[in-house]
Amino acid sequence: MTFKKSILSIGFAICMLTGCADSYHWTASHPSYHKAPYGGIAVTGIDEAFVITRSSWFAKRLEIDKDSIQIKGTRHCRNTFESELRKAYGNLMVLPDSVNRIFPEESIKLDERIFIKGHIPEQGITLKDSAGNVPPLVLILHEFIIGTDLKRENFFDYALIHNESGSIRKPDYVSAIFSYTLWDNIKQRPLFSAVDELQQPITTYKLNNLTNLIQLAVQKIRKNLYAGVSK
Amino acid sequence: MKKLLAILLFLAAWVQASDVYFDSRFTLWKDATILIWAPQGNSPINATDFCHSLRRYNTGIGEPKCRELGEWERDSIAQRYGTWLSNNLEKDLPSSFLRARHPGMAAKIQTLEDNIVLYVNPQGKFVQVAIFDETAQEPKAAGIVKMSNDKMALGDEIASTFFDKRTKRRLTKEERLKQQTEPDDLYKEVPNLKFWAGIGIGYSQAHFPLTPDNWTSSHTKSQVRNYRITKDSVSLWNFIEDDDAFLSLYAGITWHGFIGIEFLYRYSNRDMKTDKSDTVYKELDHWNFGQHDIGLNVLLSMTYPITTWFDITPLAFIGFQYTFYNESIELKNGISKPSRAYQYRVKFEDIYKGALLGVGGQFVFKKHYGVDLRAGISSRGRDIYEAPSPDAGKAPTTIGKSTIDCFISLGFEYLWTL
Repeated sequence: MTFKKSILSIGFAICMLTGCADSYHWTASHPSYHKAPYGGIAVTGIDEAFVITRSSWFAKRLEIDKDSIQIKGTRHCRNTFESELRKAYGNLMVLPDSVNRIFPEESIKLDERIFIKGHIPEQGITLKDSAGNVPPLVLILHEFIIGTDLKRENFFDYALIHNESGSIRKPDYVSAIFSYTLWDNIKQRPLFSAVDELQQPITTYKLNNLTNLIQLAVQKIRKNLYAGVSK
Repeated sequence: MKKLLAILLFLAAWVQASDVYFDSRFTLWKDATILIWAPQGNSPINATDFCHSLRRYNTGIGEPKCRELGEWERDSIAQRYGTWLSNNLEKDLPSSFLRARHPGMAAKIQTLEDNIVLYVNPQGKFVQVAIFDETAQEPKAAGIVKMSNDKMALGDEIASTFFDKRTKRRLTKEERLKQQTEPDDLYKEVPNLKFWAGIGIGYSQAHFPLTPDNWTSSHTKSQVRNYRITKDSVSLWNFIEDDDAFLSLYAGITWHGFIGIEFLYRYSNRDMKTDKSDTVYKELDHWNFGQHDIGLNVLLSMTYPITTWFDITPLAFIGFQYTFYNESIELKNGISKPSRAYQYRVKFEDIYKGALLGVGGQFVFKKHYGVDLRAGISSRGRDIYEAPSPDAGKAPTTIGKSTIDCFISLGFEYLWTL
């Protein structure tokens, strides 16, 4: 009897701690988002969005000097991101970050306590490349955080962002947390915004694992852009 | 078929001169000042004519003033927002998606005071219309009306579609200032302690409403023969009347408007249910019991102010009570010696203990005068904390071991706070 009771209560506790308690909305779609981008897209934000936390951990494994891990590591991520995106969208236009960074930072609400912070263009101003071309859709990458054992709620739930992370121990996963917005450049409105999280189990960690992480992230973004279309 | 429907819908839209996308009831002032904002600079309506249209379609509007909002038409931030709004004004898009994000634009809208901005933007065969006031950074109302080169007719159309509503008197500067500093009528601090004392009447019965009769009928229909015999003695309602009015006196205290305690006393007079066909009762003048209940309730409550002079406090209570029965029996005049059965008549326990459970509400007028409505259930039984004895099996059954009834009551009370 007691055994049965304890099993029940453990089950209940697990339910509380995991799936059943997670009720965040991590995406937001504009009511007029009816068609996911296909064939062509522009991207901006990729020069400065990438951040690698735990530099020394990554420096040791990726065999990059600790002083240059931020520069070299993030450049690698940026290039992988771009080439992966180019595979998916044949007609890819890369806008330099400066095009969008001139606008003030704003927050976009995804859920009661979840807000993305990022630069989005002013109402009435279209983003243009250096030749003056106006892409209809722009993927704005706000932040791309790479680290170990990270949880997105600790970064984006304003009730939790002041929590200190626990003591550094042997990590189980390499995590990527990234926020982005699909911007309608013609009508200047956010069509789709999301915060995503990827957890990559660690065995041995090499540069190709990092490449793979970025590739998975791009896949995840594309999948979400399709799933987010308002019916 | 689908095509035909689409054509019909298109035609319907064509014939319909205007379409309101949303209208969140902006305040239309009497003698309103309407600022006409045509972001492209070529207003399709004329300010003076529009004022005439307003007066034609809204008799309550008084003396409106209309002018073109040149300062926004020349401003680049407003111009950009105007263009953006024109691109984004779509049917079925909630107004929150049309919010002006630029801080400069938001500031412009906020400083409108009680002027109304009428955005008019010709777009082919239609004119986009949006209305702004200082209370929101998004349009308060928006839609389209059919374009017409006759400025007067277009003004009439806009006035009849968006401005055909009741007007409010505009406050003077002093009144606005006063209103801003005026205290909230319904603001009230929750008192630390709230006391009340009251007197009430009520009614109780054994049968619960909406339950089958046969749950209680074995008790309520039972009668007492030969001064002591019933079918069953588990409930007191086998002996005495269960449905009777009672009088109550009560006093209570609530701590921080949330949890409270209440003392109550109830009195009712219960007739014995003697079997009239039993001849042994011929000697009897009357036989009844005074029922005294003394109880203590714990209450949970919450007060909701409805108007400045009226509050409602819903409450739930749970408590316990002790019940005493005071027998009143008399023989008829001239009968000196009662029968043997009279002398061995039924005796109740000295004291019954039970529980109270229920909900109610206090309706308080002018902070002090309350009307109290309650409904609940109560029980009476033998003290359950009695030590068990080895002779329990042989002991005679306790009369009224489990007696349950339900009650409603209405009380009038006086309340005061500390």
